[in-house]
Amino acid sequence: MKIIIIGAGKVGFTLAQHLSMENHEVTIIDRNETAIRHASDALDVMCIKGSGASPATLKAAGAESADFVLAATSLDEVNMLCSLMAKQLGAKYTIARIRDVDYTVDLSAFQRDLNIDMVINPEYSTAIEISHLLRYPPASNIDTFLRGNVELLGITVQPGDFIIGRSLADLSRQLKTLSFLFCAAQRGDEVIIPNGSFVPQVGDKLYVIGTPMGLHQYFRLLGRYVPKVHSVIIVGGSRIAHYLANMLEHMHIKVTIVENQEDRCAFLSEQLPKALILYGDGTDQELLMTEHFTNHDAFIALTGRDEDNLLISLYAKQQGLKKVIAKSNRTNYEGIAESAGLESILSPKMITVSRILRVVRGFENKKGSIMVALYRFADNEAEAAEFQITEDTLYLGVPMKELPLKPGILICAILHKGAVIIPSGNDTIDPGDRVIVISHDQVICEFNDIYQDL
Amino acid sequence: MNYKLILRTLGLTLLLEAACLFIPMLVSFFYRENPVPFAITILLLLAIGFPMVLLKTNSQFFDQEGFVVVALIWVLFCLFGALPFYFSGCFNSFIDCIFEVTSGFTTTGASILTEVESLPHGILFWRSFSSWLGGMGVLIFTLAFLPKTGERTHALVRAESPGPVTSKLVPQTAKSSKILYTIYIILTLAEILCLCLAGMPVFDSILHSFATICTGGFSTRNLSIGAYGSPAIEIIVTIFMLLSALNFAMYFLLITRRFVSILKSDELRAFWLIVLGAIALIMANIISTSGMVNGSFGDTLRQVCFQVASIITTTGFATADFNLWPQFSHIILLLLMVVGGCAGSTAGGIKVSRALLLSRCIQRDLRKISHPRAVKVVKLDGNAVDEGTLARVFSFFTCYAFIVSLSILILSLDDFSFQTTVSAVFACIGNIGPGLDMVGPMGNFSAFSGLSKLLLSLCMLIGRLEIFPVIILFTPSTWKRF
Repeated sequence: MKIIIIGAGKVGFTLAQHLSMENHEVTIIDRNETAIRHASDALDVMCIKGSGASPATLKAAGAESADFVLAATSLDEVNMLCSLMAKQLGAKYTIARIRDVDYTVDLSAFQRDLNIDMVINPEYSTAIEISHLLRYPPASNIDTFLRGNVELLGITVQPGDFIIGRSLADLSRQLKTLSFLFCAAQRGDEVIIPNGSFVPQVGDKLYVIGTPMGLHQYFRLLGRYVPKVHSVIIVGGSRIAHYLANMLEHMHIKVTIVENQEDRCAFLSEQLPKALILYGDGTDQELLMTEHFTNHDAFIALTGRDEDNLLISLYAKQQGLKKVIAKSNRTNYEGIAESAGLESILSPKMITVSRILRVVRGFENKKGSIMVALYRFADNEAEAAEFQITEDTLYLGVPMKELPLKPGILICAILHKGAVIIPSGNDTIDPGDRVIVISHDQVICEFNDIYQDL
Repeated sequence: MNYKLILRTLGLTLLLEAACLFIPMLVSFFYRENPVPFAITILLLLAIGFPMVLLKTNSQFFDQEGFVVVALIWVLFCLFGALPFYFSGCFNSFIDCIFEVTSGFTTTGASILTEVESLPHGILFWRSFSSWLGGMGVLIFTLAFLPKTGERTHALVRAESPGPVTSKLVPQTAKSSKILYTIYIILTLAEILCLCLAGMPVFDSILHSFATICTGGFSTRNLSIGAYGSPAIEIIVTIFMLLSALNFAMYFLLITRRFVSILKSDELRAFWLIVLGAIALIMANIISTSGMVNGSFGDTLRQVCFQVASIITTTGFATADFNLWPQFSHIILLLLMVVGGCAGSTAGGIKVSRALLLSRCIQRDLRKISHPRAVKVVKLDGNAVDEGTLARVFSFFTCYAFIVSLSILILSLDDFSFQTTVSAVFACIGNIGPGLDMVGPMGNFSAFSGLSKLLLSLCMLIGRLEIFPVIILFTPSTWKRF
């Protein structure tokens, strides 16, 4: 495939590296001479010096026939303009990195108006990853859709669970206020897309999909959810910390943030009224001691310096904190840190790269459809795909219960105007929505494939 | 200091006062009373005002000029406004006249008169009309209805408007003032209509509406609203009192359908919480100590609601003699006197928003003890309040406490009971009107000495202008030329 990457920074470079290794035709655009030279020396890609927002440069890079255009410069506004330009020139799929908190408030409208197919926000994605690490037992597999608004995870039914021996139709009456859905079940070697008559048994692996809040409540009802974490201390008030604190507040986890810039502290205090914001150097052990930081359940290091993060995390680990998470973009330190006992090291760069790679790989398999994300689960037997609905989609505005779906297909979540709907019989699909479809034993190449042939 | 500009603005407002005095003079003509007191005052005002207006000057208002002008205008307005009372001969001394008219302009509603029903209609009208003028602000009126007065006029509005932060409704100051006055007039007209429908005589309803919407509290009856003995009238007045203690910007938001901003208002929520809380506590107190005051539960509830509204909105009407209520209820009323209404309303007191900011600051400082490095922004209505504003709220409250203490000290020379002395000061500085004991709803301020009356008049001005303009007026450095 033809892929254009604008901005040869950390994410752009790493992505180009992976994509060129997978035999894609990659072109890099950057204004910085040094970055360009570094990329052309190290990678098997074409490099063009210039602004990615200028049509001339984009044309020179072949944007008219490009399959993917990824804008990952340091400025959100430039990224928006780049993808807008590329789309107008005829690029098939555009991805823009938008990380400013102000823009994320009404992102779906932004995305629609600027015609960006996918928005990536490394800080937001990292915050989501961290919140998963704090929330679920590590064994269960988790994946996220609709920018983290919907999660898919699998858990094994154990003796004594209240769902055993009752049909889903019966259960849904009890659980209908919770926004989640049973979307697949694995019984022995067999994978089932369950309908109302499905009865869970001990040993089944059930996959549930829903909003983070809905799943959280379900786990609580199940009695399975042992909240491990009540309070968290975050060192470094970066954007990740801001997003993360927001998520944790919704989960009723107490947040303390240590930040060493006073005006940033004031800003965070304004944005996060429930969090405790401390002004000081988070790598200063005395400050941590006066705040009794060992009383917290989790320690998260998110300062701008990888070395600081790793060292202070090691210190926290040594002081006996149960859960320690560190951010580090440099992968070469990971080995050392892991051998010293740190298990959770997250790299926003790698999280972003793998998200984009997933979409590109998804496209490779299913050319032409507007698929935003694809995820295989249950031993690769079932697929969860996220689609963008356009005017060309069939059966728009028709209630769910009247749709002629193929067997083994389940529509399990709709993002409609920024709100997540776990659909029931009367909900409809409208243009501009995003929909998650679970399929089993069916080849779904584009959204209209879910309907029975006439 | 731009003295010429100050003089010209003063002249302008004196002419405005002359124009306002025409209305009570017409009322005098209408009721075939003696219009001479008004005529003399108007001539005096014109004679002094005209030469001042003719001064040539630029119109550069800065904060200092704004504060000084506002304070001076109010002092002059009160001095000249007292003249019709003096010339009418209904009052014992000029000091009494000053007390009465200051009480009017500052929307206090405290009176030294024992008997109001025998006063001429013209004088009664001027008494209530003065508080209606003072309610929204004399200067805001000038800005609203005179042709464009200058670029930097927001300094004037800031000095005259109550509350810790003054925001504009629309980009232009004059337009904002006009909107506020329109809301003010509509509320007044609405109440006049309601009262007339409820059976109050037309003249009385006009005057009572003036006194309600400005949260003044002057009545044309010795027994205040209680004289009519009509539940309908009491309920109407209660509602309009509460409405005028809300931030007038809320009505603008309501008209422009910005409901989310209204719901976000912490002050509004706190205000209703205080009102309901006070009603509940006083009801419980009255029922547990003395049973129903008179009549049924409904009657008691109506009276308590009326009195709580009357005190927290700093109006000062009465339907019941709350002097007879138990002590706990007295103290609650006294606390309500301190708090007052919302910022940007016509009510007095330190304002609910200031009380909220103070309590949030205290919360923050307590938190700092356990977490010395904690950073916490104090928010109001979801927005961060800057440290300068917070510091001003604190110095405001400190000044308020000092002035109250000093006034109580001086007033105690008159040797009245503790309750009388303390509540008189609170009732005047908070622009409420009636206090407790001797100055209670059925009493008045006539027994105080001349010095005390002047002091209380000054307290009313300080309360209405929110302390700083008056203090700046008396600060020597203001008048030094550098």
